[in-house]
Amino acid sequence: MKYTYDDDADVRTTTLIRVMALFFVGIMIIAATTSPIATGTKEGERAPALEGEFYNGSGWSDFNLESYWDSSWGEGDISGQWVVIEFMDTDCPYCVQSAEDMGINANDFSGTNPQWDGAIVNFIASATELDLSGHDSSRAEIIAFRDKTTGEDCASSDCGSRPGAAHNFPYVDDLDQDNMKKWKVSGTPSYYLIQPDGIIAWSSAANPGEDLRDAIITLVPRESA
Amino acid sequence: MDANLQLMLYVIPVLVGLFMILPVGRTLFASLSETIPSLGTERGRVFSGLILTCLAGMAVSFQTLWISSKISEGGNFCASNSILSCDDVIGNVEYNTDPFFGIPWGGIGAVVFGILLYLVYSSSKEPNANWASSYLKYGTYITFAGFFVIVLLVFYEFQMEKICQYCTTAHVANIAAFIGFFRLMRLNQSKDWNTV
Repeated sequence: MKYTYDDDADVRTTTLIRVMALFFVGIMIIAATTSPIATGTKEGERAPALEGEFYNGSGWSDFNLESYWDSSWGEGDISGQWVVIEFMDTDCPYCVQSAEDMGINANDFSGTNPQWDGAIVNFIASATELDLSGHDSSRAEIIAFRDKTTGEDCASSDCGSRPGAAHNFPYVDDLDQDNMKKWKVSGTPSYYLIQPDGIIAWSSAANPGEDLRDAIITLVPRESA
Repeated sequence: MDANLQLMLYVIPVLVGLFMILPVGRTLFASLSETIPSLGTERGRVFSGLILTCLAGMAVSFQTLWISSKISEGGNFCASNSILSCDDVIGNVEYNTDPFFGIPWGGIGAVVFGILLYLVYSSSKEPNANWASSYLKYGTYITFAGFFVIVLLVFYEFQMEKICQYCTTAHVANIAAFIGFFRLMRLNQSKDWNTV
């Protein structure tokens, strides 16, 4: 009996090859036309959302971190505004100690300092309440910490006596730890330096022992550099 | 090209496929049966409609995967202040991947529609093979399982108060595919499989 080529071939193999070819064409088109960036809190990843209400000295209003991002920003572009986020707890002793440095950094890199010729760096604090004994925070305590006013306890001392001057940057209410969990922050204070396009450039968790101020000076573009 | 206009590239084949699958297709596509003989039979028409639906479902799933990649780059594709804003849905990192493996829903859709396309395409090529009836059953089960995923994704959309029109097209494609596989499975179990 004479067999013709393909007579006994199973149609399932041919079909499978055709469908898989179609599938891989789709995958290749996506691979060739996009460069996806993962969302996360590691350096090089897109910063996750940070939402809630923030206090800026005059009251509480809606906060959305995404409003800071400029997707058209390019590396070296000095006009883009960078963002520093500090995850802190008003009852964490180290956060209280570092409040002075945060205030100095915020003033030095804000654009009002004539000695800083680099891109503007916006500072944001996300104030949480850690699940530790003695950590009992509130919005009133966040206000007292930021404005350095008396009448509330911050880490067993009056908030008005914390080091440094009153802060002029916004404090986001994260007492329910929503943002902290989303950002997978393991302890306070934690710092993130974020590029104007929303990509995390530096984090204190990934660079132990490295100072936030040094990171800003190294990474944020300057006219004189 | 406008995002909603581009969507029509998927909506039209899904709807044409759906009408071919439904009994009403006999009347609607009767005039085409002379040019395309396979449309002259119930089995041939449902097979054709199902292949078209699965192809469109796979394509729209790839498009949603592409949109999610573009959004992750910082771009936007179909952002809108209205309730119809696929960027808000596909770009929401809390909901845009499956809760177990973190795979984007668009990728899952592309794989599932690829499997469905394989099942229906091979069955259409050899409708009397022993395995064809099993393939039609698998297709019915897979598309039925898709209903649970659709419910979950619609629930997400309710939570976000936004509707992703591209995702909805893929959901409709799954519903159409279920009807098609179910009709073919029932037809396959009847005596009329080779006569209709």
